[in-house]
Amino acid sequence: MLLSIVSYGLALGAVYALIGITYNVMFAASRVFSFTAGTVGMLGGVIGALLINRLGLPVALGFLLTLGAGAGLGIITEMVTVRPVLKSLDQHLYVLSTLAFALMLQQLTAIEWSTEPQPFPRLLPLGPGIFDQQFWLPMLACGVTIAGLEWLYRHTLVGRAFLAIAEDNYAARALGLPEQGLRIASYALAGMIGTLAGFSSGEMMLAYFGNGPLLNFYGFVPVALGGMGSNRGAVAGGLALGLFQQTANFLVGGIFASVAIFVVFIIVLLVRPEGFAGAAPARRV
Amino acid sequence: MPTSAPEPLLEIRGLAAGYDKIGVLHGIDLTVGSAEIVALLGPNGAGKTTLLRAISGLMPKSGHVNFAGRDLSRASPRDMVRAGLVHVVEGHRVFTQQTVFDNLLLAGYGMAHRARDRQVEEALAFFPEIAAKRNDRAVTLSGGQQQMLAVAQGLVRQPRLLLLDEPSAGLSPVLVDRVLAAVARLKDAGTAVLLVEQLIEKALAIADRVYALVRGTIVLEAPGNAPDLPRRLEEAYFGQHSQR
Amino acid sequence: MNDGATGPLASAGRTRFGRLEAHLPSVLLAAVGAALPLIGDSYLGVIATRAAIYWVLVSGLNLVVGFAGQIAIGWVALLTLGAYATSVLSAGTVLPEVSPFLALLAAGLLGAIFGVIIGLPALRLRTFYFAMTTLGFATIVTQVALAWKSVTGGGVGVPGPVFAWPFASPWGFYYFCLGLAVIATWMTTNIAASRFGRSLVAIRDAEVAAEAVGIHKPSLLVTVFLFSGAVAAIAGGLFASLQSYITPDAFTFDLSVLFFIAILIGGRGSILGPLLGTIILTALPEFAAPLVAWSTFLYAVLLLVIVLAVPGGIADLLDYKNRRPLQRHREIRPQPALLAHIMPHSEQANLLRLEHLTLSFGGVRAIDGVELEIKAGEVHGLIGPNGSGKTTTLNVICGYYPPQHGLVRLNDKVLGPAAPHTRARHRIARTFQTPRLVGAASVLENVMIGGTTAGRASFVEALLSLPRQHRDEQQARAAAMAALAAVGLDQLALVRADRLQHSELRFVEIARALMSRPLFLLLDEPAAGLTVDEIKRLGALIVTISRQGTGVLLVEHHADMIFDICDRVTVLNLGKVLASGTPAEIRGHREVINAYLGA
Repeated sequence: MLLSIVSYGLALGAVYALIGITYNVMFAASRVFSFTAGTVGMLGGVIGALLINRLGLPVALGFLLTLGAGAGLGIITEMVTVRPVLKSLDQHLYVLSTLAFALMLQQLTAIEWSTEPQPFPRLLPLGPGIFDQQFWLPMLACGVTIAGLEWLYRHTLVGRAFLAIAEDNYAARALGLPEQGLRIASYALAGMIGTLAGFSSGEMMLAYFGNGPLLNFYGFVPVALGGMGSNRGAVAGGLALGLFQQTANFLVGGIFASVAIFVVFIIVLLVRPEGFAGAAPARRV
Repeated sequence: MPTSAPEPLLEIRGLAAGYDKIGVLHGIDLTVGSAEIVALLGPNGAGKTTLLRAISGLMPKSGHVNFAGRDLSRASPRDMVRAGLVHVVEGHRVFTQQTVFDNLLLAGYGMAHRARDRQVEEALAFFPEIAAKRNDRAVTLSGGQQQMLAVAQGLVRQPRLLLLDEPSAGLSPVLVDRVLAAVARLKDAGTAVLLVEQLIEKALAIADRVYALVRGTIVLEAPGNAPDLPRRLEEAYFGQHSQR
Repeated sequence: MNDGATGPLASAGRTRFGRLEAHLPSVLLAAVGAALPLIGDSYLGVIATRAAIYWVLVSGLNLVVGFAGQIAIGWVALLTLGAYATSVLSAGTVLPEVSPFLALLAAGLLGAIFGVIIGLPALRLRTFYFAMTTLGFATIVTQVALAWKSVTGGGVGVPGPVFAWPFASPWGFYYFCLGLAVIATWMTTNIAASRFGRSLVAIRDAEVAAEAVGIHKPSLLVTVFLFSGAVAAIAGGLFASLQSYITPDAFTFDLSVLFFIAILIGGRGSILGPLLGTIILTALPEFAAPLVAWSTFLYAVLLLVIVLAVPGGIADLLDYKNRRPLQRHREIRPQPALLAHIMPHSEQANLLRLEHLTLSFGGVRAIDGVELEIKAGEVHGLIGPNGSGKTTTLNVICGYYPPQHGLVRLNDKVLGPAAPHTRARHRIARTFQTPRLVGAASVLENVMIGGTTAGRASFVEALLSLPRQHRDEQQARAAAMAALAAVGLDQLALVRADRLQHSELRFVEIARALMSRPLFLLLDEPAAGLTVDEIKRLGALIVTISRQGTGVLLVEHHADMIFDICDRVTVLNLGKVLASGTPAEIRGHREVINAYLGA
């Protein structure tokens, strides 16, 4: 029992962490939180099920095409909902534009795919068990993503350029860094990470349009609590959240687990709006 | 203009720029010749930083910018950098979370690897002090060292024209001399410099020519060694009536 | 009351006809609504009832989203709460049975409380975070409704309340809802036209300036959340009655989206726009059956289009008056002589003293032991190179930054640190380096925002448009017109502020600051971006203001203006006072010249 709580909790936590990283990657490139983070996560499951179950593509091909779709969605997000409102960041129009786009994607899925949860294919030809693939696949995806990002940021110039833009956009532009190209690339990357979250957890969470808002919220909690921009914070927070949720689920029931998470989320933010790892807000006047 | 080359490297005509509805610059005409050091002086709030930003494409503007024989009036900062005009912005804004070496590599983003690595070394050679800290993160540098790093970043592409915005700000007098000496050496290497500087005497010591910018317009242009320059500048800054 | 010179414009703010004209569309809508049963189409009746119920909620939410600019997207939570509270109380399954009307009232109270609870994070959190918490709240409420079976019936649901005669029949119930919708419209229109409405918009578009004129954001927002929560829960009770049976499924997030988008499509800061938006969004899918499934998708598309292409919404499209071209070459001609009408001459010897102020930002001493005395009736210039601490000094005086050491004293009172909204009560007013005005409001309204602390009527009095509220409005309007005449902008009183030129905005800010009849007026680079002529007139205006008995602190780069009009000048360099004296002394001060020339 304990083992199943832990493995399910960690798997769920890995998905939240991946969505949190999706938020972070977009935020670092543009100072924008996008409501599409959870939505692409949901689409990862739906598109995977569509390609493999409905169209009968091989798993590997379906996987690659799903990631490609994620990248495409990321690029569209950047072009349609972020770039037009970047000039007036202080008006927070991005909250509305990304919300609108996320709703469009979600509704489209509900109408054209299904409003009911649909099965997701088994990805590997392995039998079930305690170490079932539906649990370790999300964790593997999370680990690979973190390792990949670390490699990107530490060992490639493109990665350093991402960091440079995140730290000081103005100085980066003055140096002649291709700010717009890097931003588009970040959004494509974020889209891929988001769909990876949904794809790897497809068997556990099913291909369901309603996963979007849930992932949006539970993926944002670790980002907000861990301090935005911190991927390690997102992973630690995500895993803790997943474990907590499963434990509470088992002990007191799902509703109270949700209420508890929500209450903790609000109280922590009210006490420390910048999160545990974040910096104090900048000068206002 | 006796001191400028017949074909100026940078020629600006009728440039105007501002923030929102506030007009900051009005009808600026300005030239910089090849391998010429031009100082841009003026009281604070005159629009010097704005002028550099407008030239390098960091903010929108109207008017004409001709650089190295090309019309770059609507160019982005990236286009400008590629054309050989690099802007070292105010306030030594280096990337604090990355190493000195990575900061310089970023300045050469998109260049061929070998040329980039060679020129990073050459830029470091200008500032032995930070060359010794090449693998330290920039956050560990002092303000003066960060400023040197910012100038070194400007050198990596071996630009034909370097825009330097207050490289002396926040530096001790000794460091100011070091940075400005490096600027003077650039001229020998064939790089032109447009320098915004609050320390007038220091600026005059290395400048071939000066412009004074007051309230968004150029009010004075003179050779750097003109004898009555300090008095003329004081008048330009404070108005004609010296006593009330 | 008003000077003859402002004659034709004295009452230009709202003539009786102008008032009628402004309310005409709403009155017409109400008349059409009242006549609707004549058509006798019961299906139409259901749609109209639903639109009226939605509007009751949206009218309150409009104050939160459209006026205060808080992105509250999960407001369906309050509809759910109100619906269950009314149903459960009037069914008597948990508590003793009460009349549905009483239950509706109780739901309103509960809604007010939860409105504040949901809204509370807005006082501290950034926009996206707040949007997220409201979203989370909406999810939680539905989950609780599902799980709390003993009260809500879980997935099976509970019957909705039935209101007694004369509201029992469908058309009777329709009139009940329509009546509440009319009341909601009337109340929110009253708020919109009061200092509370102007303050909300100021918080939205110019938060820092709002604090400077004495608006206390937390208490104002809490009041609005109370009201908005109450009407949302009442709408919930009506909704439950209309549905006749409620389950958690009835409260989809799509409803939240509808409410939210109706406001944005209608236009922020408008009542009529969101009202039309609500009617259109409620009715549209009903009349185009194939659209039903796609309705939320279409709302989302609409939202995206609105955000990217028509940020002003329907209200902007209807605002034909502000499309009339303005005169091209306008001159600002201040009439300092008129100042006496708003700020009578005072001989009080007020004194504003800064004692050893010190403040660092991340290790850098922005100001370092600054001592300064500003006397009533004097213009005190504050100059210095970039980064010398001028604006920081100003911000410490105004309470935006708490100093690490030192005090700001007005006469004998020590001014509390980090409390910018208290400065207006001490009659310390200021302007900003970049004018901070509400672009979407008229010039007159912008100036009236400066008179916020003079208002006496409470929120409830404003809601119900009681006599004290009328007096407040008349006085504020008259004072604002007088201030505008003094700075020379009375001709532009009714123009949207974002249509003005930059120099005009600077003078509007001064007019706003004059509304508090300031003892001390702090001007942050008022001459930046002005022409030589305008600077001369500005100088004359500033001198006249000071001669009325106001102490003026003038932060400025224009050295000639400083030397022309100041009585005393203080020079800051690297956060310290470098020199202080008469303009002549400063002009001849070698160190000052060196600091400027950088020698």
